[in-house]
Amino acid sequence: MIQFKALLIKELKEAFRDRRALMVALSMALLMPVMIMAMSKFAIDKAIDNPPIYVKFSGAEYAPKLIKALKDDNIFSFADAPEDEIRNWNERNVEMTIPKSFGQDMLDGNTIDVTLRADFQEKSLMSPLRRIKDVVRDYSLTIGYKRLLVRGIDVRLLRAVKLQEQDTALPTSNAVMISLMLGLYLMMSAFVSGLAISIDASAGERERNVLEMLLCQPVSTLKIVLAKLFCSSSIAIISIVLMLVLTSISVGFVDLTKIGATFDISGFTFVALLLLLVPICFLASSLQLFFSFQAKTFKEAQSTVTMLVMVPSFIPMAMMLMDDKPAWTEWAPIAGQSLIMEDLFKGLPVDWSALVFTGVTTLAITAALVLTLAQKLKSEKVVMSLS
Amino acid sequence: MIEVHNLHKSFKAKKETVKALNGLSFQANDGEITGILGPNGAGKTTCLRTLYGLLTADEGYATIDGIQVAKEPLKARAQLGIFPDKFGLYERLTAYEQIDYFASLHGLNGQNKHQAIEQIIQDLGMQELAHRKTAGFSQGQRMKVTLAQALVHQPQNFVLDEPTRGLDVMSTRILRNHLAKFKEKGHCILFSSHVMQEVAALCDRVIIVADGKLAAQGTPQELCDLAGEKSLEDAFVKLIGSDEGVAA
Repeated sequence: MIQFKALLIKELKEAFRDRRALMVALSMALLMPVMIMAMSKFAIDKAIDNPPIYVKFSGAEYAPKLIKALKDDNIFSFADAPEDEIRNWNERNVEMTIPKSFGQDMLDGNTIDVTLRADFQEKSLMSPLRRIKDVVRDYSLTIGYKRLLVRGIDVRLLRAVKLQEQDTALPTSNAVMISLMLGLYLMMSAFVSGLAISIDASAGERERNVLEMLLCQPVSTLKIVLAKLFCSSSIAIISIVLMLVLTSISVGFVDLTKIGATFDISGFTFVALLLLLVPICFLASSLQLFFSFQAKTFKEAQSTVTMLVMVPSFIPMAMMLMDDKPAWTEWAPIAGQSLIMEDLFKGLPVDWSALVFTGVTTLAITAALVLTLAQKLKSEKVVMSLS
Repeated sequence: MIEVHNLHKSFKAKKETVKALNGLSFQANDGEITGILGPNGAGKTTCLRTLYGLLTADEGYATIDGIQVAKEPLKARAQLGIFPDKFGLYERLTAYEQIDYFASLHGLNGQNKHQAIEQIIQDLGMQELAHRKTAGFSQGQRMKVTLAQALVHQPQNFVLDEPTRGLDVMSTRILRNHLAKFKEKGHCILFSSHVMQEVAALCDRVIIVADGKLAAQGTPQELCDLAGEKSLEDAFVKLIGSDEGVAA
């Protein structure tokens, strides 16, 4: 116990004194909340805002009421565009042509062809075009209804079936973008945060010639590996906790109620998230140590281990893209945890058996890696590569 | 007491097999400083690494105070203080913290540990270095820290692989005095060096290793007599049978 304590204290001291590695480790935790806040603010503004649209009308004078309806929805003539918007809207070039016969056709009850010309594939025009189409359709419908009404026909006859939509999403799941992003970043942070520390404690120590000295001491390689594992996973855990706390605080600055959403990491969610992520931190650190102890140089460790360790961190992303998930994914490490995390964020009940199972599996893999590594450190191959 | 009995060790590199140790046997007694001499590539480091339990011999065995290294490496290492061929320091720790770390690895704690560390720092004259981080230490200062961490637990057996390289005259003297003191107390000291004067002055017995086996052994004077030379350096060259390695 004296030995393990000394090993662990030394690892922690070294990790916390390596300011640069520590900054890299915690940078994700510090930057992500800010990014999440900025992105969600931007998305909300986009979702609820009704920014003015400038359309190049020709024949506007033939349909003053339609033009007024458009104006009521913040859709104006290009001629009225303020200076700073002229360039943008000139480029976007949304044209609407109203025929000369508009007034007469309206009187006669003919269908009037109003033309809307624009690049319908342009992403920035998606929302403006939708809004223009909505206004024109509503205008057209209103007139149609009025025509039927004056002919004594109940307009409800036009609606044989009305679809009632009931949204089962809970208020929290409206903040789905925030929680999905947070989920991804948490997983990545669990995988990446301890990386620099792990590489330094393994390949770095070998390169600095301190590993041989350590292996000559009367201490089991298992203790050495465990101390290093605890050190780098504790950095990852700190990073995750920091990220959760900072995200909770920073999301508070975004008014989610505007999109009818709430986002709140409750005590329960916090604990459940930690239960999910702590085993992953251990797994990630053991993977990092496992591969970087076998790298020949510090540089090799940095490049290859970073690549190798990043692979599992993409699993949550793959899970997100998969629509029909096979049942086993719920029980597989990482995949299972990311699914449970998704449920947690959506406010759905947690499948405790899956949580425990994935946690235990993750820890079992970690244990296997640690034992194999401890065994490998006893092998001559490792010693030979010291010189 | 350190005993090495008929050690054989070969390394396979691609298709070539290099025989590093070829039946090396020797003994380093308690209360004596035993010098181990040999040209580069003679098998000294391989032999010492076998002693530390880092390498397993193909044949033969090494014992430390009667404990077989291959069978009980941890127990054997607990009897050893090691100053390795290549050494590095934890540059983000202070000298004191490093010594403390190794003392704890050897099971010292509490007041005993504190006293042991203070003692070794005083003995090696390291008071001024003790609470500085080791990054930027000179070669001699690094050596002192490594020595201190090898000696702090007062092991019965010391293995020192060229401990005086890079040390200034004062520190070399301190080290020599220190080793002499430990010898008086009955410790066993195995000492490898390329500095003949030092070996001649310090060692009670000298073991000369060449081609992975024992070339000669005896007191420095006995070796000189054996080779019919006046200086140990000449005797060494004659005994290993070539000029090779002397310049190293």
